[in-house]
Amino acid sequence: MRIFKSSPKFTVGVIIISILIVIALLEPTINNHRLGGHSSTEIGLYETSLPPSKEHPFGTDAYGRDVFSLILTGLKYSLLIGFIAGGLATLIAVVLATTAGYKGGWLDAFITTVSNAILIIPSWPILAIIVLFVRKVDLFFLSLILAFFSWAGSSRQIKPQIASLKERPYVELARVTAFSDIEIMFKEILPNFLPYIFVGFSYAVTGTMMAETALRLVGLGPADIPSLGQILNWALYAGALAQGHYFLVLTPIVILILLFVSINLINVGLDEVYNPRLKQITGV
Amino acid sequence: MKNKLLRYLIRRFFLYLIIFLISLTAFFFFLNLVPGDPVTRYVQELEARYGLATPVSEEIIKEYKEAFGLDKNLFARYTSYLKRLVLNFDFGPSFVAFPTPAFQLILDAFPWSIGLLGVAVIVSWTLGILLGTILGWKRESKGASFALVLGLILSQVPTYLLALILVMVFSFVLGIFPMGGAYSPLIEKGFNLRYIIDLLYHAFLPAMSLILVYTFGTMISQRALVINILGEDYIKLAEAKGLKSNRLISRYILRNTLLPQTTGLALSLGFIVNGFFLIEWIFNYPGIGRLFMTAIRQMDYNVLMGITVNTMFWVLTANFIIELLYPLIDPRIRR
Repeated sequence: MRIFKSSPKFTVGVIIISILIVIALLEPTINNHRLGGHSSTEIGLYETSLPPSKEHPFGTDAYGRDVFSLILTGLKYSLLIGFIAGGLATLIAVVLATTAGYKGGWLDAFITTVSNAILIIPSWPILAIIVLFVRKVDLFFLSLILAFFSWAGSSRQIKPQIASLKERPYVELARVTAFSDIEIMFKEILPNFLPYIFVGFSYAVTGTMMAETALRLVGLGPADIPSLGQILNWALYAGALAQGHYFLVLTPIVILILLFVSINLINVGLDEVYNPRLKQITGV
Repeated sequence: MKNKLLRYLIRRFFLYLIIFLISLTAFFFFLNLVPGDPVTRYVQELEARYGLATPVSEEIIKEYKEAFGLDKNLFARYTSYLKRLVLNFDFGPSFVAFPTPAFQLILDAFPWSIGLLGVAVIVSWTLGILLGTILGWKRESKGASFALVLGLILSQVPTYLLALILVMVFSFVLGIFPMGGAYSPLIEKGFNLRYIIDLLYHAFLPAMSLILVYTFGTMISQRALVINILGEDYIKLAEAKGLKSNRLISRYILRNTLLPQTTGLALSLGFIVNGFFLIEWIFNYPGIGRLFMTAIRQMDYNVLMGITVNTMFWVLTANFIIELLYPLIDPRIRR
């Protein structure tokens, strides 16, 4: 817990993301209480386009839905997709980066080339076309293709660390005592590198959430999973900007930005603490 | 040695070709393995959208499939696609604007995108490096920590969300910038001052949504690089022997950060282009991004395919050009 003391950035990031996660976890309870068992996406539950009031803190949208409840639901789904897709991407990244970093040779060259290709080419149009042409897109499929296009970023965070861990004495020792490669990878290397996996994971979560929001913002993907991007899309198509319903547009954006900023603060904090060279110079 | 430089360039060129070919092939096969062909899908979409009662005749569908070469098997389609693409940049006709070639639509939109994107990327990269160097050099000052906090927040905002905020604040609330488009509808086009000012006026908000985010992004990474270099022994030696700080910054610091920053730019180009598609859509800016969104809505297969392959090609080419600059930046590659 020394990290909380030594990095205020990390602490602030953890506090913000924890609050958002708790709110997302409480979403079913709150919305059940507020909407009396109705779904927050149900159309025509209230009068349309009401201004903010005591009953509807953020007003209602053009389809007669309570904006506050809608945004809570959106936060829940955005986080859910981010965590599932980010988790999948990290898994792919860890397996491939460990294999590449530990084995080296042509396998390393191949994995590095593929991961560079994914990093360099603009993947969002491809993602958009896939989601457009595959008719039945559900939560899992969406997460899977998001993960497929974002593992390269987190692999880039992880791989250099693997390469350096490989040279450590205890790994050499394990190799001399004739452990198998798999055993060395999972028993000796992986546990020592959880902080880096965590950094890779948070990169992947941010990456997948950004891509997902962009897809949903333009109206692609499963409309029955109302993430924050989908809510923004509804707002824009109902003319929220022209009619002056700025709350409806601004709130999802602010929440998304808070998510991205807090995750990045955690990353920067971890880097400051686990990168002693930087710490020594900046004196944080 | 000339030989080594040549070997480096040739190896880079082949890697560039291989990555383009792999991406293209993976993309092509994926799209063609999704059940349903583009013509039928397009027709179904039209039927569903306009509630057509009489189904489109099978013969017409068959004829169009032949025209688009969809009646052949997968491998034959792949080779003919590659052949048409390499020999005369033929991506097939647009469905919606038939028989205009998809490539013509892309060519018309391309200058808008490359103009806006090119200026925004170069401005934000240069500005970010300058600001980041100052921030790293004077890291103790009050202003530096404020800029750092601002940077930590702004660099994490996706460009398309910033675009939404900017259009909301400056076009809808304050009404001082146009809501979209690239020029005023009635203006006389040509090389005159009014038109140029009008163009800049319309490009300002879209450009700012990119510039704000990437300036601060580059600034943050540059600050970290500078601080890292400041801890090196050779900097201490240079300071100890009384080198002027101007020379220290330009010769010792900027020079050493140029390589990682160039690599960073090359790696983030694809990501920048991703966001740029949405910026154009939000501002209704007549470039590739807007064309792509229109094609998405109309399920215009050849245009979608053409845009994706083109952006892949140009981003990879930009990357390759940046890699050609490496020997200039890093003398170790030359030797």
